[in-house]
Amino acid sequence: MTSHDDGLPNDPEGIRLMIHALVDGELDAAAALAVERRIAADPRLAAEHARIVALRGAVSRLPRPDVSDAFRARIAAIGMAGTEQQEPQRDTSVLPGLISVAGGGQRREAGARPPQARPSSRARRFGSFDWRAMAASIMISAVLASGATQWVMFSGAEDGFAAAVASGHRRSLLAASPIDIISSDRHTVKPWLDARIGVSPPAPDLAQDGFALIGGRVEVISGRPVPALVYRHREHLITLVAEPQQGGKITQPDDLSSGGFSMVHWSDGAFSYWAISDMERPELDDFVARFRKAAV
Amino acid sequence: MPIPGGFAPVSKANSLSRPEAARPVLSGVSDHGAALSERALAERFNEVVLPHLGDALALARWLTGNAADAEDVVQDACIKAHAGMSGYAGGNARAWLLTIVRNTSYSWMSRNRPRGMLAVGDLGDLDDMAAAHGTSLSDEDGPEASLIAKADTAALEAAIAALPQPFRETLVLRDINGLSYREISAMLDVPMGTVMSRLARARGLLASELGRAP
Repeated sequence: MTSHDDGLPNDPEGIRLMIHALVDGELDAAAALAVERRIAADPRLAAEHARIVALRGAVSRLPRPDVSDAFRARIAAIGMAGTEQQEPQRDTSVLPGLISVAGGGQRREAGARPPQARPSSRARRFGSFDWRAMAASIMISAVLASGATQWVMFSGAEDGFAAAVASGHRRSLLAASPIDIISSDRHTVKPWLDARIGVSPPAPDLAQDGFALIGGRVEVISGRPVPALVYRHREHLITLVAEPQQGGKITQPDDLSSGGFSMVHWSDGAFSYWAISDMERPELDDFVARFRKAAV
Repeated sequence: MPIPGGFAPVSKANSLSRPEAARPVLSGVSDHGAALSERALAERFNEVVLPHLGDALALARWLTGNAADAEDVVQDACIKAHAGMSGYAGGNARAWLLTIVRNTSYSWMSRNRPRGMLAVGDLGDLDDMAAAHGTSLSDEDGPEASLIAKADTAALEAAIAALPQPFRETLVLRDINGLSYREISAMLDVPMGTVMSRLARARGLLASELGRAP
């Protein structure tokens, strides 16, 4: 066997594994180049390479099992099992998740409740002398009541939210880095946010318009994590907080500027947005207009 | 006389329903404690689990051997995934779900057809075998690539089904589910080198099987 000093294994088994790795896209450019050279120099390796490619192709063409609608509905019902029995109070007590948009239809078709949801309502009916049922109903009343209170207070809470967004933005300017995930690639930012907090707002890159997406971070506002995108326009940073929204309320941009910062608030039905920056208001309006156009 | 007889079933039904009822109420209480995050969890379930049902079914189909069992296994796995959703720490949702599907497949099989599990043999032996035979097998001329490419679906499916289980699962995770070596290594809890040699061995076996069949 000729010896190579390309860093690849020299035993036949080792080089065979490297060919598999090449076909599987597991090699970096340097190693891939070295393996390709070996393949080009040795017809037996070339034949092995061709076999692996052919086999992979054949396996990938195998028919895949269908996910029937009935099966998908059954699985979706598992997901709804937890939320279902507490639906009424939760709608008002918790600020929305995307599920209210996405899950609206599923909830209805989940009329055939999964078995887990069923027993507890039966328990409430039968076990009226059971102290546990009593405790549960007290619990429910308490949650309902606090939900209602929160609902009443919500209209007043918006100012508090805006103030929290503003202070988050100011703090980010003072921090070592205004962003937790540095990337101009929305395909990096979105999954990052999604993995952290299960929410990923639209994140169009507006670099061509002069507003470059430079990253994202998670803000904690009113005790809840919300995604924040960071754009740069010349030397100014723009923080865009996107709060998942329920109820599909669409509102036009509203000026909340104060204290030297420009702030604009609007909703598109799925998210409620707060854009804040130390730019002049017209420039921020320009950003908002471009973002809304791109996010549709 | 008929009257006491008429009462008996009622009281029996009552005494039966009590203990049965107690459990769900308790769990209901703890649910309220987690009420804030539950919607987020349900939302996450939709995002993490639902898009990968096809992959989950494909894996379960190849691990259990048939499509009908695969649906049962995936449904069990999704119930587990739902229960364990708060343990999902981000990252590749597909790999996370498939790990649960794999574990569920094996526990399902050991429950439903314990004899099938006996045939698996010792994994260490198989890996030694893979390393030892890997070279000798297709270092000799393997079948023509064109022959493999022409193999019909049934022959290929039969050949995959006939693979020893560790080779089969590695091949399915890689070539059908599209996981990376690293993800497979993490899922099976074996070194990457083992993943690579199992995969090479699995493909070698398939190639020679398909080359033999024409």
